[in-house]
Amino acid sequence: MKKVITRHWKFMGILTVLLSFTMVFFTSNTANAGSNVVRIGNIIPLSGPSASVGEQGKNAREMAVEEINAAGGIKSLGGAKLEMFYADSESKPEKGVAEAERLINTNKVNVLTGCWNSAVTYPTTAVAERYGIPFLVPVSVRDTITEQGFKTVFRIAAKDSWWTRDQFAFLKDMEKEFKIKVKKLAFVYENGDWGKGFAGQWKELANKGGYKVVLDEPYPSTSTDLSPVVQKIKRAKPDVLMLVSNAADAILLTNTLAEYKVKLKAIIASGGGHADPSFLKAAGKNAQYIFDIVEWETDVNKPGAKEANAKYKAKYGYNLTGESVDAYIAVYVLADALERAGSLDPAKIREALAATNYRSGTGMIVGYEAVEFDASGQNKHASLVMTQINDIGNGLERITVWPKAARRAGYTPVCPMPKK
Amino acid sequence: MTHQNIKKFSLALVGIIAFVLPLVLRSPTYLHILVLLYFYAYLTTSWNLVGGFAGVLPLGHAAFVGIGAYTSTILFLQYGISPWIGMIVGSILATIVGVLIGLPTLKMRGAYFALATIAFSEGVRVMIENIDFLGPFKLNGPRGLLIPPLNTGLANFLFVGKEPYYYIILIMLIMALAFTYFISRSKLGYYLNAGGEEPEAAMALGVNVARAKLIAMAMSCFLTALAGTFYAQFTLYIHPRSIISLDLSFEIAFIALIGGRGSIAGPVLGALLLRPVSDFSRIYFGATLPGLHLVIFGVVLVLVMIYQPRGLQEPLTRAFNKLLDRFAVKTTMEDKK
Amino acid sequence: MIYILEDAINGILMGSIYGLTALGLTIIFGVLKVINFAHGSLLMVGMYVALWVVSFSGLHPYLALIVVVPVMYLFGYCLQDVIIKPIFKAEKDVREPITVIVVTTGIWYILDNLTLLIFGPQYRNLPDNPLKGKMLEIGDMMISVPKLWGFIAAVSTAAAVYWYFQKTRTGRAIRATSLDREAASLMGINQYKIYNVAFGIGTATAGIAAVTLVPFYNIFPTVGVLFDIKGFIIVVLGGLGSMGGAILGGIIIGMIESIAPQFMTATWTEAIVYGLFLVVLFVKPSGLFGVKYDW
Repeated sequence: MKKVITRHWKFMGILTVLLSFTMVFFTSNTANAGSNVVRIGNIIPLSGPSASVGEQGKNAREMAVEEINAAGGIKSLGGAKLEMFYADSESKPEKGVAEAERLINTNKVNVLTGCWNSAVTYPTTAVAERYGIPFLVPVSVRDTITEQGFKTVFRIAAKDSWWTRDQFAFLKDMEKEFKIKVKKLAFVYENGDWGKGFAGQWKELANKGGYKVVLDEPYPSTSTDLSPVVQKIKRAKPDVLMLVSNAADAILLTNTLAEYKVKLKAIIASGGGHADPSFLKAAGKNAQYIFDIVEWETDVNKPGAKEANAKYKAKYGYNLTGESVDAYIAVYVLADALERAGSLDPAKIREALAATNYRSGTGMIVGYEAVEFDASGQNKHASLVMTQINDIGNGLERITVWPKAARRAGYTPVCPMPKK
Repeated sequence: MTHQNIKKFSLALVGIIAFVLPLVLRSPTYLHILVLLYFYAYLTTSWNLVGGFAGVLPLGHAAFVGIGAYTSTILFLQYGISPWIGMIVGSILATIVGVLIGLPTLKMRGAYFALATIAFSEGVRVMIENIDFLGPFKLNGPRGLLIPPLNTGLANFLFVGKEPYYYIILIMLIMALAFTYFISRSKLGYYLNAGGEEPEAAMALGVNVARAKLIAMAMSCFLTALAGTFYAQFTLYIHPRSIISLDLSFEIAFIALIGGRGSIAGPVLGALLLRPVSDFSRIYFGATLPGLHLVIFGVVLVLVMIYQPRGLQEPLTRAFNKLLDRFAVKTTMEDKK
Repeated sequence: MIYILEDAINGILMGSIYGLTALGLTIIFGVLKVINFAHGSLLMVGMYVALWVVSFSGLHPYLALIVVVPVMYLFGYCLQDVIIKPIFKAEKDVREPITVIVVTTGIWYILDNLTLLIFGPQYRNLPDNPLKGKMLEIGDMMISVPKLWGFIAAVSTAAAVYWYFQKTRTGRAIRATSLDREAASLMGINQYKIYNVAFGIGTATAGIAAVTLVPFYNIFPTVGVLFDIKGFIIVVLGGLGSMGGAILGGIIIGMIESIAPQFMTATWTEAIVYGLFLVVLFVKPSGLFGVKYDW
């Protein structure tokens, strides 16, 4: 009996310590309500399957905030500093919703950004709308995010109908430039919100463009073996393969395609997993000649871009990606709006965001000319670039090839893919 | 005062505190956390009917949450039927599915039953992810269904503030607790208890263990699916990967085991410990040290199981009774019974 | 026709590797009567260990086995001895220690997220991997070399463990414990020691599986989860506790995953796998190749 009791007290002791820890944190965190700060809530996936993307977005935001604060913060607010609050969504919609509630009510954030996963952004923006807190979406591609009639939602990145439109425009241009005939297309995509969204648009565009779809294959992104899918691609004999993949499956798919020596004229990917910093390292030579559509590339011809990337790489060990640039520019767009609003009133910030016309500044490292939102909150100017993964003497890198105006000087894309 | 009276009194006190809490606690954040806490306590109470009393370990209850949520949401979005009605329809559907699954699986022993329920719920998730349209019903595959937050009001089960949700789930929880209390005192409860501990002996005594388990399963599925509708109306978005997830199924089972499986207070105690641990550790470490909150969650699970393998309910009841002994002087022999 | 054959071969090879990942699960279940939900995480730990060994020493990936197997055995042995044993002792009179399931799940969360905390979410691969993309070409058929080695590893591991259980003294003690733990402890077998050894062996086979996966797979903190559910299905199909059953169950899953997508989209094959699993459970709950234990 005595033993039972000591066990019991030992256990209760541990429990009390744990609970008091959480309580201490809980009180200490709400106490430090600084006066002259702008509070920005960020809901991104920091653990779970999309943790890699979340980490990149967080780093990009941190870099932008450091720069803005070092330059004196928001001047119209008396030099107010930006204070970031990060919340982990674990890629789960219900966690995103709960965190939005918390950030708005407890941390009293003035503005929200996030959430990368469209499935999280979608319901989370509804929370912000209810409270009238402006929600700036750096990147979440689902069309419907800005089509819910919400007044407080603004998106920097292009939406999925633009991504797919540009992929087909690129394909047409390649056919002309390299005089190749593309007839048969294969669509292979992760079976999620994102993949399904793209595939739906592809099918329509293929119909309009007179292409024949020889394979339309969703696959679970938790697949442990993609060789059956690769066999299907090989047997369908498409000219061009179009992909939507997360990181783990992008690597697996690329390696398996090379193993089975699948012959294709071109592979066109859709960012995401193919743009992940680990992708090039892990897929290596097998990734050569893949075309990948992204928002931004390190070789973009814009003053400041090279420096920003060099700084980021020195800090975190990998290049900026399109998605992290969206996060980076989002912080600058916010700072710009705050400067013009001169107030922390959410309605005023919203007005200022709606009137955004951000054309130059440290954050403006994207290829397009400005950030300007249309009535639905979508950035009108958002555009995409097609890159090709190739080795031109400095190891594998991503080289911008399309639109032609943005093509890296002196580079000719390799199309169709040479036989290895 | 006697023991019985003090117990009744403290129970009433807890009830009153729960009801007036929203008047004191104005922060929607904490109300949100509390709503989810009650939601999990409710789910675990429903789970407990089959997982606790019937002595098997179902690890796929998220499927029934999903069935409830999808049914009421589809009826609401496509046909304008009030979620209150959809809630009942979904629950009936879930009960039918639960019985169909329970018929063959409830005969299985421990691990097999647990794995069968996992496979079943994963199967349901895969089906929903692969189906955009099921006949006239739009499931929308992996993209999920969004409930637009318009036309709020009681009839539509949509509210602007958190308080209505708080009271709805609180009343649901109290009703579920009362229901389990009633069941545990009924003949069915005794049959289940006997069947869970010594199935052979119970069968020898003429108890139809299989039937009792099946009834428990049916009731459990019915109650679980009701919570599915609540979840859909509360988060306003359902998505197969998050609602029919193993994480949810597992968390329900954990709360029950941590709290004390098969006891009435267990699910509430378990939720009171695990939910704050999971919420607050995510809030404070989620951003700076990604993943740490799940490490803490795991550590708490392991520690409780090592030190209190029967759950928290036993030691807490002991501690409570000890307190009573100290304060209630006029204890008579009768009360001790 | 040649297509089906090619797919079947890929299915058998990949499936035997699934079987190998599930082998430890079935060993641990057979002896401890516990589903080890942390098994996928142990596989993940094995993959990280293999990655370090190869990148620090520059050895051939398969030579990492020399380090991975003992390390994983010790890891499993200690895990069982320190964390799981106390619960077994507390729950002595319970037929199925369900609390242990919760503890193994707790270990799963801890291992996966500690890895995330310490090593970050990046996807990793073996550096300078000599086996990467190696294919055997027979006519038009292509067979992956690392998967072929995985097949050989799976079959020989299962055979070796089987031999060990049949022929050695410890092996026989393990079998005795798995058949009837009370009787075994009456015969002077230290039940808890046997549990430690069995858990160690189970973890070591996860290590072997990790080494065969590393040459053609990505390494990241949540990689174990992908193999977890598959493992559960395989061991039940093959019969919980049956080693040959695990490999055969794995091959069945591998074949379905490889052949079925040629007739439908890959996402539906998942549904077929779950459907088959439920049917087998209903018709023959002891699994296709299962032995009936009294427990």
